[in-house]
Amino acid sequence: MPHSRRRYPWGKAALYIGPSVVVLLLIAFLPVFYAVRTSFWSWHLHRSASRALVGLGNYLELFGDQRYVNSLGLTFLFTLLSVSGTMVLGFLLALLVQRPFRGKNVALALLTLPMIMTPVVSALMWRFFFFEPSVGLVNWFLGLFGIRGPAWVASSPWAFISVIIVNIWFMAPFVMLIMEASLSSIPKEPLEAAILDGAGYWQRVLHIVIPMIRGTILFTLIFRITIDYRMFDIINIMTGGGPAFDTQVLSIWVYNVALRTFEVGYANAGATVMMLLIGALCLGILLLAGRKSEGRLWSR
Amino acid sequence: MVAIAPRRARRSRRGARTHSVRHGTRRRLLRGLRGVAILLAIAVAVFPLLWVLLASFKSAGDLMRLPPVVVFRPTLSNYLGVAREGFFTYLRNSAIVTLGSVALSVGLGIPAAFGLSRFAIPGRKTIMMAVLSVRFMPYIVFALPLFLLMVQIGIIGTLGGLVFVYIIINLPVIIWLMRAFFDDIPRDIDEAAAIDGASQGVTFFRVVLPCALPGVTTVTILSLIFAWNEYLFALFLSGRYAQTLTVGLTRFLGGMETAVRWGMLSAWSIAIVAPIVVLSLLVNRHLRRGFTTDLGQ
Repeated sequence: MPHSRRRYPWGKAALYIGPSVVVLLLIAFLPVFYAVRTSFWSWHLHRSASRALVGLGNYLELFGDQRYVNSLGLTFLFTLLSVSGTMVLGFLLALLVQRPFRGKNVALALLTLPMIMTPVVSALMWRFFFFEPSVGLVNWFLGLFGIRGPAWVASSPWAFISVIIVNIWFMAPFVMLIMEASLSSIPKEPLEAAILDGAGYWQRVLHIVIPMIRGTILFTLIFRITIDYRMFDIINIMTGGGPAFDTQVLSIWVYNVALRTFEVGYANAGATVMMLLIGALCLGILLLAGRKSEGRLWSR
Repeated sequence: MVAIAPRRARRSRRGARTHSVRHGTRRRLLRGLRGVAILLAIAVAVFPLLWVLLASFKSAGDLMRLPPVVVFRPTLSNYLGVAREGFFTYLRNSAIVTLGSVALSVGLGIPAAFGLSRFAIPGRKTIMMAVLSVRFMPYIVFALPLFLLMVQIGIIGTLGGLVFVYIIINLPVIIWLMRAFFDDIPRDIDEAAAIDGASQGVTFFRVVLPCALPGVTTVTILSLIFAWNEYLFALFLSGRYAQTLTVGLTRFLGGMETAVRWGMLSAWSIAIVAPIVVLSLLVNRHLRRGFTTDLGQ
């Protein structure tokens, strides 16, 4: 036993990796544990005397809670529309800028601006300067053609549509960057062979390019899903979850419930379900797609 | 650079059609269309920012004018107003939290990435996946319990607390990216240094780290941007006295009784994004490499 233990550089590993592990346990895993723990309690923020263990009570209440179920549905719809929008648009943009041209670096730098810009600021810009019903640019522009634009962030279903538009504007460049890099690294021979066989541009894209960058697409998809699923800042600024509860996705639900009712046990139960669902979804995607192309992944 | 429609191959195909004039014009047309499409995409990406930049120099009257005005008499009153609203306090808070947390995350993450790249210990993969799960976790799941815990130990609403919490955002990115960079540096270098009698520490600091310097630059820039842009944690945990620029921005939104203050809203917005935009344009190649490094090839 001591023999096999000596084979591993435990001491060095602890020295280098240890501090990060400890810090993450403290600031990330402890809070998650605490969230799960409080979710079994009736826990009002300002009434510590009335705290009581309720077991699965909060969870049972959640699934009878129409607003929570509504948030669940909205979150999935938001994620679905926003992820597919960014994936398609990002991929098309990548095809557009993929071949070398003069000023490509400048073009890419400008195209990636939405992605690095502070999301809160982007949300404000769009809400006040573009989607504002009376003086916003969008309705003014529509007015030029005699169209009376909707009240956007203040009306149903336009509020939902406008947050999706802003999120696609924000995140499509991210997909573009990854796809562009991936397109640049695929081998050339299959494409040339296909050209000789008389395959058209879109045929080559569909039948050769996309299968070849399948791994990249899969992981971009997982990034995009997890990021959109937890969407908070843009919606918080643009609509705050309204009008009515039209844009109250799960993160916003947790925030609103915690802030308005102070029932943090209940809010944490909602957050826990949210966490379990995305975990299951990611695992499902990975298992379905096979783990063959496991790359090094990270990022926003 | 490999193109999906390699030029050489296309030319040979055109050759088969004996350089028909019609085909040549079609190609030129396509190329022109592509240029127009790229310019259009750039316009959509950049226009909102330019429009708000313009708005930040407009007087209250010009801001509300329809049709929107492009030529107007610029004023600095919005920026002066923002300065009076305590902008510099928020700026100081944002700067402290961003720089502090980035320094800590980089200091923690780089050695960890080196360790995970070089020491073959069991559980390495588990650690990597656990780190990744932090990156993909809905941040609201951290925010609410962090609020409760930080109230209990009395560090809610402090800059120090925020500095610590912001590590959540950046440490996973740094560990994953830097591990990829370290993996690309051949181990022969480590071994050569060891044979020359260098200790592990010297090998790391003096030999491997200098090779990974471009990677360090990349992760530092990314971390600076993510921390600077952060909103959710700041909203939950900054209390009254540690509010950052992103939280401060909401004071101009207007509410039940107050109107939206458009001018100051624009000026404050521009002040937040200006450093980020300048930084990203200056070091764009680094930034792009950060976003695309080694993604499942």
